[in-house]
Amino acid sequence: MTHTTPRCRRLFAAVAALAVCARLAAQTDVPITTVEGGKVAALVPIAISGFTGEADKVLKFDLEVAGFSIVPPAQARFELVGKNGGQIEATLKDAGKHALFARAYPGGTPRGQAHALADDVVQTAIPGQKGIARTKIAFKITVGQRNQRNESVSEVFLADYDGANAFQLTQDGSIVRSPAWQPGHRVLYYSSFRLGRACIYSHDLASGARTAVASFNGMNDGAAVSPDGTRIAMILSKSGSPDVWVSHIDGSGLKQLTTTREDEASPCWSPDGRSICFSSRAEGSTRLYVVDAGGGPMRPLNTGGVRGATEPDWSPDGSQIAFTRMGGRENFQVYVVPAKGGEARAVGEGEDPTWAPNSRTLAVVRRKGSIRRLSLLDVPTGRVKDSASFSGGCSQPSWAR
Amino acid sequence: MNRFLKIGLITLVLAGALGGAGCKTKPKNITAIPGSEGRAGTTTELAPTAPIGTSPGGTAGRGNRFAPGDTGANPVDLNPQNAAANLTPPPQTDLPAGDIRNGMREDREMFRGNTVYFDFDKSAVKKGPETTKVLAVAEYLKAHADAKLEIEGHCDERGTEGYNLSLGERRALSVREILLNNGVAAEKVTTVSYGEARPADPGHDEAAWGKNRRSEFVLLLPAGGNVR
Repeated sequence: MTHTTPRCRRLFAAVAALAVCARLAAQTDVPITTVEGGKVAALVPIAISGFTGEADKVLKFDLEVAGFSIVPPAQARFELVGKNGGQIEATLKDAGKHALFARAYPGGTPRGQAHALADDVVQTAIPGQKGIARTKIAFKITVGQRNQRNESVSEVFLADYDGANAFQLTQDGSIVRSPAWQPGHRVLYYSSFRLGRACIYSHDLASGARTAVASFNGMNDGAAVSPDGTRIAMILSKSGSPDVWVSHIDGSGLKQLTTTREDEASPCWSPDGRSICFSSRAEGSTRLYVVDAGGGPMRPLNTGGVRGATEPDWSPDGSQIAFTRMGGRENFQVYVVPAKGGEARAVGEGEDPTWAPNSRTLAVVRRKGSIRRLSLLDVPTGRVKDSASFSGGCSQPSWAR
Repeated sequence: MNRFLKIGLITLVLAGALGGAGCKTKPKNITAIPGSEGRAGTTTELAPTAPIGTSPGGTAGRGNRFAPGDTGANPVDLNPQNAAANLTPPPQTDLPAGDIRNGMREDREMFRGNTVYFDFDKSAVKKGPETTKVLAVAEYLKAHADAKLEIEGHCDERGTEGYNLSLGERRALSVREILLNNGVAAEKVTTVSYGEARPADPGHDEAAWGKNRRSEFVLLLPAGGNVR
């Protein structure tokens, strides 16, 4: 963590008291907390006053997820003052009481207004950091009841990143798995047992059109769409073993990437679309491998001796891979490792991590007894916040990006 | 150096170089799963739509965010209950051509006693009683020309979900290998992995887990007539 000297813009002092509808561009040369790779960073202290009810709650949640700690004004590096009613009005000041922005957030819900303000605070206080408060996640909820086939029913849900405004997408009454966004599109890929066994479907959220893209005998699972939205990596067992395959986005042009006898699982793409990371037991115990998306040998990824590595997810900025280390029950840990391999760092309890578009926050699944719920994990600070809870077990989050 | 040894070495190196595109050694004893070649991609059905991002101004730009300036106005009803009420169940389309379950009915009782159990984190069928159960199924399939089989793979809850999907499939495939090695035609057998989604015992201790690490047999018989 480094702490730079504040150099503030007096220009904003004049408008500090006045909340205006026009958005003012905020300069970003303010005190910052630099997040250094692999090191644990400190929380950014901020004081918040004037907000009430849902807006206040949502704003504080968003900022805590983003790595802020809410403190009294005397200890704060930033101060956010405002009010809410029909609209949120807010002024962000630095430690020298200079206004960094003064804005109003009309329209929409108090929740939406608070998310928008939180994103502005994040992007102003932590230069280069993207706000994530208005992003979406897809995930699976195991509803709990059994269907005629004695399957524990699960469905795909969509929600705001914090679990609010959840919407049930599928109504299949069977098992679903591995929801994954097509980046840049409002299309989800997932597997469903609606026909009695898992087939991979693409599901256009706007039109409702659903098309099977892989329905081979054996396993059709773990679809992951390439960052440019043109290809799918997936696990098929049509060769006689669970292997990594790639195809065009509609399922045509299949190509087998791995040929091990053992099982591969959980493919994910590098942001440049050139590589696919996955887990395999090819060498006895589970570990991560990388293979060129066009084909070639699978190369083990060095995770610094951390064993039982599975469920990788490549950060959108390409620098890190998050994964789950399997241990005993209730003992799964999320790790991050440089994408080129190296020392892996434990960042918190949980499993099945998915990166937010900011390459900083992870959504993970955490188990408490037999209950599974979603949590948000700020990787540099280790801060964990639970998402909204649901009746039923949540798992397999996929962050829209 | 012995000339034959030398030739052998060169051959080995060459073979290694030629086969180097994929894995060094192509694993043995893997038989492709026949059937279901081709996707069901031509059948598009109407499934639920999602309200997110369908509000005006919410879809601008890449990704799944509200557009800048949109503070979250989203007049669509997001209550799951209300949304569900507006939805009709998806039409049941047919299984893809080539799916071995087409025209077959399920009999889960016939091989109830043949369920194969596995060690923790293992997919190999244990020698002895577990293998014997599989061999009995093989004999039945060879004696009944019309009969087919679905092999289910299941796991306990101690792996991650993604991992368990593949482990369950690998278990089912291990059982399938024994069947194929004992004369059962590949066309008669398919596999399905449930991962941890269908535990036989809902408990959270070793007694339950031991029952959940398993492979079950679902006998498939022609839907119309008797099997002989």
